[in-house]
Amino acid sequence: MKTVLEKGNIFYQGKFQELDKLVIEKGKITEIVLASAKAKKGKAVPATKKKPEVAGKTIDCTDKYILPGFIDAHTHISLEEEGVGWYDADFNESYGLATPHVRAFDALKMRDRAFKDALTGGVTTAMITPGSANPVGGQCCIVKMVGNIAEDAVIKESSGMKFAFGENPKRTYGEQKKFPSTRMGTAAVIREWLMKAQDYLKRKKTKEFKEREIRLEALIPLIEGKIQARAHAHQADDIITAYRIAQEFNLDLVFDHCTEGHLIAKELGKWKARAVVGPTLSSRSKAELKNKTFDTVGILMDEGCVVALTTDHPVMPIESLSVAAAMCVRHGLDEERAIKAITENPAIILGLDKRLGKLEVGYDADVVVWDGHPLDTRSKTEAVFVDGNKVI
Amino acid sequence: MSIIFNNVRIIMSGKFFPGQKVLVEKGKINMVGSSIHKNVEKSIECNQKYLVPGLIDAHSHLGLFESCSPMNDIAESWAEITPHLRPLDGIKMRDRAMEDARRAGITTCMVCPASELPIAGICSILKTNGNSADVGLIVEQAGVLMSFGELPKANARMTEKPHSTRMGMTAVIRETLMKAQDYYAAKQSKKVVKDREIDMEALIPLIRGEVPMRACAHRAEDIMAAIRIAEEFKLKLVIEHGTEAHLLTSVLAEKKIPVVLGPTLLPRFREELNEKTFESAIILMDAGVDVALTCDYPGLPIETLRVAAAMAMQYGLDERRALAAITEIPAKILGVDERIGKIKKGYDGDLALFSGHPLDIRSKLEALVVDGDLFIFSNDVKVEMGS
Repeated sequence: MKTVLEKGNIFYQGKFQELDKLVIEKGKITEIVLASAKAKKGKAVPATKKKPEVAGKTIDCTDKYILPGFIDAHTHISLEEEGVGWYDADFNESYGLATPHVRAFDALKMRDRAFKDALTGGVTTAMITPGSANPVGGQCCIVKMVGNIAEDAVIKESSGMKFAFGENPKRTYGEQKKFPSTRMGTAAVIREWLMKAQDYLKRKKTKEFKEREIRLEALIPLIEGKIQARAHAHQADDIITAYRIAQEFNLDLVFDHCTEGHLIAKELGKWKARAVVGPTLSSRSKAELKNKTFDTVGILMDEGCVVALTTDHPVMPIESLSVAAAMCVRHGLDEERAIKAITENPAIILGLDKRLGKLEVGYDADVVVWDGHPLDTRSKTEAVFVDGNKVI
Repeated sequence: MSIIFNNVRIIMSGKFFPGQKVLVEKGKINMVGSSIHKNVEKSIECNQKYLVPGLIDAHSHLGLFESCSPMNDIAESWAEITPHLRPLDGIKMRDRAMEDARRAGITTCMVCPASELPIAGICSILKTNGNSADVGLIVEQAGVLMSFGELPKANARMTEKPHSTRMGMTAVIRETLMKAQDYYAAKQSKKVVKDREIDMEALIPLIRGEVPMRACAHRAEDIMAAIRIAEEFKLKLVIEHGTEAHLLTSVLAEKKIPVVLGPTLLPRFREELNEKTFESAIILMDAGVDVALTCDYPGLPIETLRVAAAMAMQYGLDERRALAAITEIPAKILGVDERIGKIKKGYDGDLALFSGHPLDIRSKLEALVVDGDLFIFSNDVKVEMGS
């Protein structure tokens, strides 16, 4: 069974081009022919006789826009399920302080309507992370937006370790009248656990080692560089603290939120930073958001950073990912880079750029057909393919 | 003591056949057939009434929940985890519910602590006739009860536990199982003399794969979490409640994971019960999943076990499988199918005599036998004393 998309405008190699056809087979993109390439060839007859066409489906996409499925590299989809009460809130272990052993993957709820909303908004992949109440928050996972069980949707069960800096942890524990209630305290908790994990790993390699400690076991892949450190940081100084700690412990660091990133753009550029910026559409609800601006993305990109946009769902609804990109264009970012910020760049940041984020032969067939320009908020998704299956 | 039931209908290859005789001797079923001639102490003429194996509820808190009392022995709400709790130490054999169970035709129950904590305690299998729990108990360690979803979350919320989300609950269970694996390995190695830890000791049969993890889970996601953990630690698994199990039919069938389903008669008073349906039993059974029905006493009165089976029939399940879901299959899920759940030579003398079809709710229980002990509940039952 194969599906062929014909005609229309395809976002290909960083820009919109006229499509002749795009072929989907066995969940992958197997062929892309641009209209320009076909025109050049003229009516050349193929050298070998082709086998008879396998039965399939052809969709005429004339005047439509064909894009890779969008990727949101920082969400909490279904951890705090929408439209329900405390009983399905699985967001933050707010009494746990350091919970590297908890996994977002174990709390996914595949029937959360946010998964459907995501597809409606053209989003086909998301990273899902525990909240930011704890200095060490737990393990993030990466899933596609379809599946009856989490195992159907999963790309990576454990892709990163969440750390939180700034207001959230100090508010969570300060209000409980506990340590930490300062930024110094938060950083100390994180250092303490990383230090323990390093020593634990060293000890584990010796013969005397007997009993495992689940929190430290969970930190081993981080220390070994197998998973990323995901640092929730808004304020410039918090971003720098995260970098300082990552350097000390040699961690593979991604900056999340990065609200004041534009104030330290030179530094971030020098560090070749990867940043997931947002949710810029939300309000300045706390002090560390006071410098929030849609200019951040462009400024950081100009410095050479890899920047993705996020809705931080449910902070902003997942469908608003393309709106965030459109807002960046309104603030001066060019259209191509705005689209990259919700396709190619998040794929790079998540380490999945060999299979997601672009329409290329061999890539996952996560393809979305829009009835108009995807950054025109009036446009609708007309067809959504995930792994080659038509889900809308 | 020996008892013979003359002229009864019993189920044979899926159908009730009249004119049968069943002989119980020394607590066991000794003979089944249409022509048994034997001198017995008690002979009961049954006029084609229905004789079925004693009913089995594979998930209850019978005897731990104290009737008419606020002082329950059902859960250690303030503890973190309690794998070492033993029902034996809290069962009250003279609780009224025990008599209710017998009057409902129930001869065997699995008894476990309530599912308030991620790891709640040991599951035991109990007959309903004993004078003390020690006598009634047939298997003490029949599994470890674990709990996922709303109930442990509600407990964590009430008692301000450090773990209050699904992520945290699964992490607590993983942490404990990891410790138990290492504890057991250290104990095996014999190089280190270790002080025993009572909670770890209770988990050894689970880690060794001798008894299953009995996982209370309603939502599909919570069932998946239990499956994930069972596979990580190579544990046997039984799903308890399984309200959304019918959404995971293929997974459960493929992995051969049985479900103790219910209490379906309860209203949907919690969010995680939203998908509850009486069709679950037939959907799961058609896919090849072993399903036992439960009323989760005191979730529902213990007398409603037959009602659950009758309701499943109302939603399409056939007679044979509906009866099996409260006899044969719970016996299999509890791992005691070599001795209870069937009317068969050598099986325990656990029998229930009904005035009419056992799944017609109007039928009365007239007599019950548990391990050969005869209980008579109707004046219609005439016992002839033999020589």
